[in-house]
Amino acid sequence: MNILLIEDDIELAQSLIGEFREQGYAVDHAADGMEGLRLASGQTHQVIVLDRMLPLLDGLSLVKRLRAGNVITPVIYLTTMSGIDDRVHGLEAGADDYLVKPFAFVELLARVRVLARRPAAQEVVTRLRAGDLDMDLLQRTLSRAGRQIELLPQEFRLLEYLMRNPNRVVTRTMLLEHVWDIHFDPQTSVVESHISRLRAKLNQDAEIDPIQTIRGTGYKLLAQD
Amino acid sequence: MRRTRILHTESFRLAALFATLFLALAGALIAVVYWIVETTQTAALVNVVEADISTIRNGYRDRGVDEAIEIVRQRLGSSDYSNVDLPGGYILLEDATRGKLAGNLAALPPQLGLLSIPRPHKKHGTVLGKGVYLADGLYLFVGRDTARLGAVRERILQAFAWLAGATIILAALGGILFSVQFLRRVDAITRTCNAIVAGRFNDRIPLRGSNDELDRLASAINAMLDRIAALLDNLRQVSSDVAHDLRTPLTHLRQRLEHAHAASATVDDYSAAVSRAIADTDELLRLFTALLRISQIEAGTRAAAFSVLSLSDLLNRLYEMYRPVAEDHGHVLHRDIREAIQVRGDAELLTQLFVNLVENALRHTPSGTRIVIALDVSADVAIASVCDSGPGIEADEREKVFRRFYRVTTSRTAPGNGLGLALVAAIAKLHQATIELSDNRPGLCVSVSAPVAARPNS
Repeated sequence: MNILLIEDDIELAQSLIGEFREQGYAVDHAADGMEGLRLASGQTHQVIVLDRMLPLLDGLSLVKRLRAGNVITPVIYLTTMSGIDDRVHGLEAGADDYLVKPFAFVELLARVRVLARRPAAQEVVTRLRAGDLDMDLLQRTLSRAGRQIELLPQEFRLLEYLMRNPNRVVTRTMLLEHVWDIHFDPQTSVVESHISRLRAKLNQDAEIDPIQTIRGTGYKLLAQD
Repeated sequence: MRRTRILHTESFRLAALFATLFLALAGALIAVVYWIVETTQTAALVNVVEADISTIRNGYRDRGVDEAIEIVRQRLGSSDYSNVDLPGGYILLEDATRGKLAGNLAALPPQLGLLSIPRPHKKHGTVLGKGVYLADGLYLFVGRDTARLGAVRERILQAFAWLAGATIILAALGGILFSVQFLRRVDAITRTCNAIVAGRFNDRIPLRGSNDELDRLASAINAMLDRIAALLDNLRQVSSDVAHDLRTPLTHLRQRLEHAHAASATVDDYSAAVSRAIADTDELLRLFTALLRISQIEAGTRAAAFSVLSLSDLLNRLYEMYRPVAEDHGHVLHRDIREAIQVRGDAELLTQLFVNLVENALRHTPSGTRIVIALDVSADVAIASVCDSGPGIEADEREKVFRRFYRVTTSRTAPGNGLGLALVAAIAKLHQATIELSDNRPGLCVSVSAPVAARPNS
């Protein structure tokens, strides 16, 4: 996978490049907005990791120009601007995700992986399958190995997000954002509690637990093809 | 310096403008009067002239040229002709072959109709009159000096000059008077602004109480200054919070690292110390984020993005979200939420407000506690509450819990940073909602009251 990192903080950039390469990714790096725009326009990357405040051309304008030029490469912002408005404006400009500095690398990695395999926007999915799980998004039903399982609405959305990103780590924060639309850090174990109830329902008559806990980070839905 | 400033004030310019307009109008009026007077006088003069002409013509027709000459002499002898200076009447009777027969004018080349000729013996002035033929070759001119007209004209012009002079002086005086007053009040505003630039943030512009536009400007500026002062206070508060309250966790972090540095023997020791240090750092960041968020909310800019939202839906979602969490904590979560209640606000912030209340109830009460999320309406006010049957808060501590970093004595050891309720208070204030802590006998009840928003479809 090819990542474009546009970040003017050289120390952070070096560290991220090192970490991404360790994960087997190729990284191109630009240290200012204009260089970043030039590299991004080539459209050879799966994901663009973009600092919001950059010399020559700021991140927000860069994304706007990319989208205006029909470059649809997924973009994730890295930013120190943590206000609600900052996030909303950032996403409105055409970015796909938003991560406030400082962050744990696993969080960035998980988000980059999810973005890289995001299906094309026009593709409407009505059915999700992962391993022996079968989810009908129109009927809002779920079955495991042919057996129907009743889920509460929030459990359904939680599993839906996991099934949309099978075999990929999704962090607690990502689940809070996508399932509950919560953009702050709750002080209680909301995600854990829901996961444990979801697990109990999924595994009632099954041997294998499809949801793997990644300690200190999040969860991964295992699905063999 | 001051004099030129007065000339440049808007009120002076206005006074000058009105004076000019008034003068132009007066000028136009005078011109009309002038024109009317002149035409009337000319007409009167022509009448007099024609009366004389017809008298002479009648004399000539009845008794011949000698009678005409006699009448001319008589006329010239009468009072309004004999006075050479005023009003000055002129007659000339001349014959084509014999030349001047009578009159007080030198012979003229005969011209007919109304005409002006230079006034004899004088440099200026004209004689306006009419030339006719009494008979073939017998030419008569009767005219009058126009000096009388000139005198009237002059009086009109003089009156106008006085009027103009008075207008200019009055306008200038009025302009200066208004401008001085205007400048004095503008100077008061400038002085206050300069004082604030110099650091006296509490100075305000004195009001006259007249509620005129300058007073309204001054009170708008004062209101702006109050708002800025509040923001400044908020900023000061945040920086002092950051300076003092982040110091404690930073001290802990530093000590932990120092201890690890000195006392760790194995890689596992180091690894454990680093993990704890990262956890400490995360806690610090949470604190930092919460502080920033409170100050952002208190700045009030978010209110511009408010929309009508269903508080019932928001609380139902919250109930579904926290029911399993409560179970895992050994608590029981109930709901008593009235449906279809809307308020104006920011969904994300309101969610955070109630999340904080529910989490407080979960974290600060013993296992087995019953927690109820409720929503009802009373007199167009939505009252949302989170009540628990836990130990509650002493009455004297209920006000203090909304302060930043304040922690109830009994919960100092529980995890938390003392900012949760400060954030709740800030969000409630932004929504113009009131918060009340009350005794749930036993336990604590936190109620948030906000005005109900009109339903979009009613």
